[in-house]
Amino acid sequence: MTQLKVGATLALAIALVCVAGPSFAHHSFSAEFDGNKCRDFTGTLTKIEWTNPHGFFYMDVKDPATGKVDNWSFQTYALITLRRAGTTRQMFLDNVGKELWVRGCVARNGKEHYAAAGSLKFASDGVLRQMGQLQD
Amino acid sequence: MSYRSRLSVACLSGLVVMALGARGAGAQNAQPKEPYTIKVMPPGGPPPRLADGHPDLSGHWLPNGAGQGVSGRFGVDPEARRQFDPKVTPEEPPSFQPWAVQKIKSMTPTEVELSKSSVNCMPRGLPAIWLQNPYSTYIVHNKDVMAQLYEVLNNWRLIHLDGRPVPKDPEPWFHGNSATHWDGDTLVVESVGFDDRTYVMPNGWFHSDELKVTERYSRPSMNYLMVQITVEDPKVLTKPWKSAPRRWTLGNGEVYEFYCTNNKEVEELNKLKEQEGAKK
Repeated sequence: MTQLKVGATLALAIALVCVAGPSFAHHSFSAEFDGNKCRDFTGTLTKIEWTNPHGFFYMDVKDPATGKVDNWSFQTYALITLRRAGTTRQMFLDNVGKELWVRGCVARNGKEHYAAAGSLKFASDGVLRQMGQLQD
Repeated sequence: MSYRSRLSVACLSGLVVMALGARGAGAQNAQPKEPYTIKVMPPGGPPPRLADGHPDLSGHWLPNGAGQGVSGRFGVDPEARRQFDPKVTPEEPPSFQPWAVQKIKSMTPTEVELSKSSVNCMPRGLPAIWLQNPYSTYIVHNKDVMAQLYEVLNNWRLIHLDGRPVPKDPEPWFHGNSATHWDGDTLVVESVGFDDRTYVMPNGWFHSDELKVTERYSRPSMNYLMVQITVEDPKVLTKPWKSAPRRWTLGNGEVYEFYCTNNKEVEELNKLKEQEGAKK
């Protein structure tokens, strides 16, 4: 996990430089998520919902200050976009119960523990993957 | 700058952004020395032809120059992202009637959001299906019909090639009522009779019941499909609007399922719309 944390900054930097997210997110991202409230998450993947048009995944995130663990849900790109980028449902299933790093932006409406995923790294392969429209 | 000018600029900007198909994918953001792994597709030789000699437009077409998905990926050559180069084939912004400018201007930001097919889950319809579609289109073409299978929203459309005219009293369909003819190696599809709930562009560009859309399809080589759209709508526009020829490239991957099922933020947007309405 430490390796993931160390890599997070680099990952973000790469994302900033190289990212090319689509202008055609299915949903109106700005209506639902706050692009000014993005942060890093590190935790354990607990569940996925591979649903049309967007996917969702869930992870347990431990608050470093309090030690409290919350289960966060993250919305992804349209499944088509993930598949064409080489990210599959099986990839997520293989990583349930394992560590991952996510950069995401929280919901505007104040819904707790809900965010849009921008990018992701599974600890198992360390590959930076684009997950959503907002690549801050 | 007048509103009209600003709107025109916005329209043009929107077109350019859509053509790029990527946020910030302009050359200024690209790393010149980046070893792109996803590049512009080569022409691929001459186009296939039907038995009658016309180009066969069949194929799995992707809205970019790469022949594969470019969204959500690293290492994509910006040249491969876009559907046209505005420097080579510039596209004039639409010229709206004054009342149309006022109508668009009166839309709140949330109303514009809610007008988008990507938000409200309505079919894109014609011509938006060719102008604002990030997903693939699978075309099956023979001498009698061209079937267009759109990945987005699992929509489809049959274009009959048997010379039939458009009906005298066309029903308002999302994809209109079409008549076709060949202009050399270009298939020309003229359509009238549209459902008025669709928008030409996701910036508030609405249309009237006088909308006429002309599509021109050509296949200059095996790997490229060119689609050029002309929009005539005398109630809304002061003159016809012509798109740049947009390229679609031949892909060999899967066509995926896409339905709009969990659009949760419409409720949020409607709340915002009510708040904006109260301020009007």
